[in-house]
Amino acid sequence: MSRGEQTLTVSAGAKTRPRKAATRRQKQERLVAVGFLAPFMLLLLIFQYVPLLVMARNSFYDYSLLNPAAEKFVGLRNFADMIEYDDARRSFGITFLFAFGVVVFVIPIAFALALFLNSKLPARGLVRTMIMLPVVTSSVVIATMWSFLLDPSNGLINGALDIVGIARQPFLTSTQQALPSLIAMTLWQQVGFGAILFLAGLQGVPSELGEAARIDGATRWQVLWNITIPLLSRTTLFVVVIMTVFSLQAFAPAFLMTQGGPQEATNLIVYHIYNTAFIMQQAGYASALSVVLLLVVLAISMVQMALLRSRWNY
Amino acid sequence: MKIYAIVFASLLGATALNATGAQAQTAAACTGETVTLRILRTPGNYPYPKPMEAWQKENPCVKFEVNEVPFPQLADTISVQAASSNPPDIIVYDGPNTQSYAAAGILLPITKYLPKGWDDDILPATKAEHSYNGEVYSPGIEQTTVAMYYNKKLVEAAGVKPPQTLAEAWTWPQALEAFKKCQQGPAGAAAVWGLGPTRFGNGQPGLVYQDLTYQRSAGDPKAAPTTSAYKTFWAFAPDGKTAEGYLNTPEAVEALKFYQSMFNAEGVAPKVGIPNAFFDAKACFYIDTPAAGNALIKDPKIEWGITPLPYFKTPVVHTGSTTFGATARSKHPEIAAKFVVDMSWGEYAYMNVSQRGNLPTLKSLFSRFDIYNKYPMKVFVDQLQSWGQPRPPGPKFAQYDKIVSEALRGVAFGGNPAELMADAEKKVQRILDR
Repeated sequence: MSRGEQTLTVSAGAKTRPRKAATRRQKQERLVAVGFLAPFMLLLLIFQYVPLLVMARNSFYDYSLLNPAAEKFVGLRNFADMIEYDDARRSFGITFLFAFGVVVFVIPIAFALALFLNSKLPARGLVRTMIMLPVVTSSVVIATMWSFLLDPSNGLINGALDIVGIARQPFLTSTQQALPSLIAMTLWQQVGFGAILFLAGLQGVPSELGEAARIDGATRWQVLWNITIPLLSRTTLFVVVIMTVFSLQAFAPAFLMTQGGPQEATNLIVYHIYNTAFIMQQAGYASALSVVLLLVVLAISMVQMALLRSRWNY
Repeated sequence: MKIYAIVFASLLGATALNATGAQAQTAAACTGETVTLRILRTPGNYPYPKPMEAWQKENPCVKFEVNEVPFPQLADTISVQAASSNPPDIIVYDGPNTQSYAAAGILLPITKYLPKGWDDDILPATKAEHSYNGEVYSPGIEQTTVAMYYNKKLVEAAGVKPPQTLAEAWTWPQALEAFKKCQQGPAGAAAVWGLGPTRFGNGQPGLVYQDLTYQRSAGDPKAAPTTSAYKTFWAFAPDGKTAEGYLNTPEAVEALKFYQSMFNAEGVAPKVGIPNAFFDAKACFYIDTPAAGNALIKDPKIEWGITPLPYFKTPVVHTGSTTFGATARSKHPEIAAKFVVDMSWGEYAYMNVSQRGNLPTLKSLFSRFDIYNKYPMKVFVDQLQSWGQPRPPGPKFAQYDKIVSEALRGVAFGGNPAELMADAEKKVQRILDR
């Protein structure tokens, strides 16, 4: 440590108050807290962090789940393969597009619904139930139901289009329409969750600010744009991060509705990882894909937090 | 309260007596150490209780612990359990995976346990599918293949007369004409489809088991091995080292254009599944295994018949069924191999096969199944014996199956056949090169 650094440490230490010795009660409380936390920390360690380390280690090996004992150390080959072959690039690209589509639509619609739920308009209870039902319904049920709705021959949506004179659409069997169809389904499923989060945020905004602005002559729109939305930036950040992470981890729609097709148009990265490990029997490559996904999710979350960091507080 | 106590005591007593009796019976019969064989199978699959109980009478020291998983999760479960410290002793699995499991060291070779005469009695396609590097890994019990069922009422109303023998079998263009005549409603959105969707997977087209035969039948196994006609028929190099030049051939592309037209331009087949379409009279024709025929014999919902699977140049049907084998890391390999072989031979094999009604793998058993000796179910036996080919076998079959199925599905949904097959060849090669 240099002399300058020492001086800085001393001066910094001089500014902080001397720490009081913990009382017996405080020590007891800490012990209780540790006791409560320990089992969960242990589970977190065993089921989250240890598997992460094992996954990181496996990403340098080539092996099949059928015979893991025959693993081969391949160094960075799995990562090099991600560059050499286009499967990872395509799958990540599709997943980003999916996540972008979900976030871009969920945020404004969820916010609009939250505004409605926060108002004194009629049928709020009914709307709240309607938008929350898909959130609590099993993904398998939703995927099955939407598969029937989007049936290219006899689906309900095509039936409705037929009535208004629009030609039948292929939806899940078209390379152009399959991903937008999955985005629409995910939007329908997740928008309720986003709305409830926004509603919680709206109910925390002090009403005096809006009232004062209204007295000063601000219109409803100006109050919304200049007061409510800025004050909800923390909630918005949370919803954006949560929806992005949910979307990047999406598996059920690709697995149950499209099996990644047609022509890999919906080959979301988590489904691709599953497919690579369990069907293609390239568990090492699947681990490498998982490591990259983890880093990508971390990076995106950090960027989003930096960009959307709140400048206002209440 | 007193009555409840008496009833409870009686039940307890009866249970205890019953248990004692059962224990006494086993103990009396078994003089050695008891062995528990752990079986992993799919629900409703063999080995069935009746032959197992009969076998246990001859082998009283063997007990069974059966675990079941649904078929779609079977391969994943085997992947996980086979590598565990305590793998099952016997696994029921999809037959074409035999070479994958053998190469991975999961299955125990059972050649030395096979009875005399097995080689002559087994169907050649079954033996080819269940062998790897000169060793047999599964004796097989059942064999299936697909043929085309038809709804008699609907096809007669359309004035169509499907052939009933292999000699008169339709070509695909002839079959398409029949589909078009019989279909009711607009192309692509019919009320009654010309050709109904498969019941396998999620009902979408593209499965290798059913749909790779379109292009294979456009090939010619008798052509010179260097020709595209020969390669089209085999769809995979016989030495299992490459698929390049075997999927994207002019013959295959031509056949696939026809295949694609059925789902698009002609609109005689749906792109997605419709549960029970054929059984609910919503399809004139339908491709399925003998299981559908057996179900219709038990519960004749519709009047039906069977016509051989159509073809382009060379008739071909895929064989294969679930099968079973002893695991190499079983704690009791000898007894597991004995059980597997016994269950697939002689009377036990008959008991197992007759339970579900699929075809046997032993030629000697065919005569014992009356339904397979006469039309309509005889079509399956004839096809199996004259046209049967295993799906392209190899230690990477599961990967090949997935890649090629996706490519075929892409074609059915309107993708470019040549591009999709070229891409499939590359993907298969990448797997083989690892």
